[in-house]
Amino acid sequence: MVDEGTRKTLSGIPLLQTKAGPRDKELWIQRLKEEYQSLIKYVQNNKEADNDWFRLESNKEGTRWFGKCWYIHDLLKYEFEVEFDIPVTYPHTAPEIALPELDGKTAKMYRGGKICLSDHFKPLWGRNVPKFGLSHAMALGLGPWLAVEVPDLISKGIITYKEKEPEKAT
Amino acid sequence: MASWEEVKRLAADFQKVQLSSTTQRLSERNCIEIVSWLIDRKLIDLIFTSDGKEYMTSSQLVQDILGELYIRGGRVNYVELSKTIGVDLSHITNHVPEVTRGRKDIYSILGQLIDTSYIIKIAGEINQKLIQQGQINIGDLTIQYDLPADFLQRNVVEKYLGKLIHGEQDKCDPKIFFTESFISRSRAKIRGALMALTKPTVVSVILNQIEVTDKLFFSLFDQLSTYGFLTGRTTSAQYVPNVYSRSQNEWVQNFFKQNGYLEFDALIRLGITDYKGYLKKHFANENVVTLKSSIISFQLIERIEADLEECISSKSFVDLQSSLPNLLDDEDIKIIIDKVVTGQRQRNIVILDNFLISKAFIDIMAKDCEGFLQDKVRDVVKSGSYQQYLTDLQVRTTKSSKCDDEEVKVDKREERRKKAASGKSGGGAQGRETKTKSTKKPTRIKNIQDDSDDYFEKTEKKVVLEVISASDVQKLIESKVEEEGLGEILESIVNYLLQVLNESGLEAAAKLYETTIADQTASRRHTHNDVQNKVNALLGDVRLFEKGLKCFPIEVQTHLYKYLLKTICLDIVNEILNYVASEKGLNVEAEKLTNEQRTKFINDLTPDYKNVLQNLLKTLSNQSVEEFTAAVEICLTECSMILKKIDKKKDKLVISNHKHALLEQLDKCDDSALTLHLASLIIFVTVTQNMLHASGRHVSSILTYLKQYLGADQFSELSSYHDLVTIMLNGGSEAESAKDQLKERMPSIKKIANEFKKSVSDKS
Repeated sequence: MVDEGTRKTLSGIPLLQTKAGPRDKELWIQRLKEEYQSLIKYVQNNKEADNDWFRLESNKEGTRWFGKCWYIHDLLKYEFEVEFDIPVTYPHTAPEIALPELDGKTAKMYRGGKICLSDHFKPLWGRNVPKFGLSHAMALGLGPWLAVEVPDLISKGIITYKEKEPEKAT
Repeated sequence: MASWEEVKRLAADFQKVQLSSTTQRLSERNCIEIVSWLIDRKLIDLIFTSDGKEYMTSSQLVQDILGELYIRGGRVNYVELSKTIGVDLSHITNHVPEVTRGRKDIYSILGQLIDTSYIIKIAGEINQKLIQQGQINIGDLTIQYDLPADFLQRNVVEKYLGKLIHGEQDKCDPKIFFTESFISRSRAKIRGALMALTKPTVVSVILNQIEVTDKLFFSLFDQLSTYGFLTGRTTSAQYVPNVYSRSQNEWVQNFFKQNGYLEFDALIRLGITDYKGYLKKHFANENVVTLKSSIISFQLIERIEADLEECISSKSFVDLQSSLPNLLDDEDIKIIIDKVVTGQRQRNIVILDNFLISKAFIDIMAKDCEGFLQDKVRDVVKSGSYQQYLTDLQVRTTKSSKCDDEEVKVDKREERRKKAASGKSGGGAQGRETKTKSTKKPTRIKNIQDDSDDYFEKTEKKVVLEVISASDVQKLIESKVEEEGLGEILESIVNYLLQVLNESGLEAAAKLYETTIADQTASRRHTHNDVQNKVNALLGDVRLFEKGLKCFPIEVQTHLYKYLLKTICLDIVNEILNYVASEKGLNVEAEKLTNEQRTKFINDLTPDYKNVLQNLLKTLSNQSVEEFTAAVEICLTECSMILKKIDKKKDKLVISNHKHALLEQLDKCDDSALTLHLASLIIFVTVTQNMLHASGRHVSSILTYLKQYLGADQFSELSSYHDLVTIMLNGGSEAESAKDQLKERMPSIKKIANEFKKSVSDKS
């Protein structure tokens, strides 16, 4: 289903309990709280493993998320904008993560830069409603997508390294 | 909205977490990067493990290898090393030289590392095994330990031989080691086997039985060769125990000594296949005679010679079959016979089958047949078959001498005939043959040869004349031969005798023939005369008899005529017929012919003879002597004979001769009836001075005629005697007594006849 590393990562992310979408007022707050807690844990885990690979923030309601993600290839860091909305039917429907920069550059992408997730993702998500949250979507969806697509795109010369380094390394 | 607050706080926390710097930890990825950078720069020398997750230094690897070698008990495979240490095989192989460098106790062999402890261990094992098995082969060890033979040989066994491994190396085969006890055990085994064997045995069989390898067997055999010898140095060779050869020799010697002969078959049965060499070796000093299937001692030959001498001197025979060992076949016996029967003996001995028969013995037998042979010879000569034989013989010789001349003639005729025949058949191979001369000639010559050959064969066959037949001889000598116990070679004796007898028979026949031929040629020359004389004499007799018979009354005369014609006249006819037959070259005995045969014979003759003879024959059945004499005359002229003139002066002489002949007959006679007959005839002749030819039936009429001349007592004596004779001849109850009386009175009758003669002669 998923590779050893992903599984290990997945096990480090706390599962969610509340089943609520953005329309569910009180419960959504509860859900959002759990989402944050999960994300915090996930990021903490990543940092500990020296594997930090994204920044995320949301609007006040927590329905729209945006930030950036990066991938290090041949000691070079490739960075991309990332954004997505929480669907109305969330958490039954997984969020559609999009990388607008790469729109039209790869076949594994829908209109608007929404990434095509692996065949396994949807059933896996469906089975794990409401336990999976945003952190899972990132770990199971975007992470592996980047690991596969970025080196490919680099080798094809579609994306090139942009000289600009924020913090990182040291 | 406490919860929203909470969310806000959490969002802030999240941002804080995201912004906090990542722990300053060298991640695995970085480590790899650093190490590979260092390796690239050749700053450190590291070895990757096979899973790629670990590095190790060379010295660590060497250490690991040594450790592993120790753990594994001194022997380890590179592949296993690479697996357990987790390093690529190439690293192992690269580092093995490092491991072995400076370590003489570690060997690298066949992708394995082996140290001294292991070698010591297997040396111990090998020693154990050697003690157990007694013998060990490097080859077997190679399989067991999966190590090269060289290594085992040099570094294990030879190195520890005498230290850890207690044994000896085979001198002939350095790959084999054995213990002293094993050797002695094997030797004991072999010795046991060799001693136990009493007959030749194939080495491989022995080896199977005692489970000793052939090499060992052969190397140990030399020490044990006192028990026997080997025919070869291979497993298919035979071991011949001395016991066996000794007993074989003993048997052979004893057998020969006892029996005086030795059969090759027997030797082969004993296992001496090269009997010739064997005999040459063992009987070189003996005086032996070699035959086809055996040898026999000279003593035996001498014995036979002695037998032979005795046989010659005792005029008997020797049966070689019985005096020689019975296994000798005919050929062998022939060889012996050739050896024994030489020179002087050959002349005194006849060899028949396996019997040696002294000539004297055969002669005795031949003598037995002599009488019969003489008879036969006479028969042969008489019957004319000898003559036939002679002529055949002559024909053949003349033919053969003439052959050369005749052949050509015959040939030409034949050829012509052939030509005609082939001409008729026309075409084909034959036709061509007649055209080509070259092919014709050889065939012609061949024909000649064939023809002449055939001819000779035929004549040669014909020329053999058997005077005496085998069955005759057999009959003659059978009893004698059987008596002597020679029944089984009766036939050969017969055959031998037959030849001898036939030869002597032929000789005798020749002699006899010469004498008879002298007679016969003379007679043949004089037959004519002879017959003429005889017929003349007979005719004279007839005339005289006729004269005498005229003294009787007419009715008696006719009877007497008839009798005369049937007897003496018939003789004359027969005489003439015989002559005619011999003239015609026919073999006929007229005396034996019946009337019918006679007429038939005459009818078969040529007309000139036929007519006259038929006439003559007719006169016989008439009663007239005159007619007969006339017919005879005609016949004789036909046979160009002359009838002599009647010489009356001679009559008296003839009559007295006749009378004397009758008297002589009377003297010898002891038949009562004949006595009376002769007596009456004699008295008649003396009385009438005429001859009388009459049968016994006419005695009574003769007596009545004589009554006038006889004294009364003489006549009564004769007539009463006559009565008695008739009584006797008629048979009946008184015949016996009459016979006795006749016997008593016979002398008196004879006396009357004789005295009557005297009285008459006195008177005259």
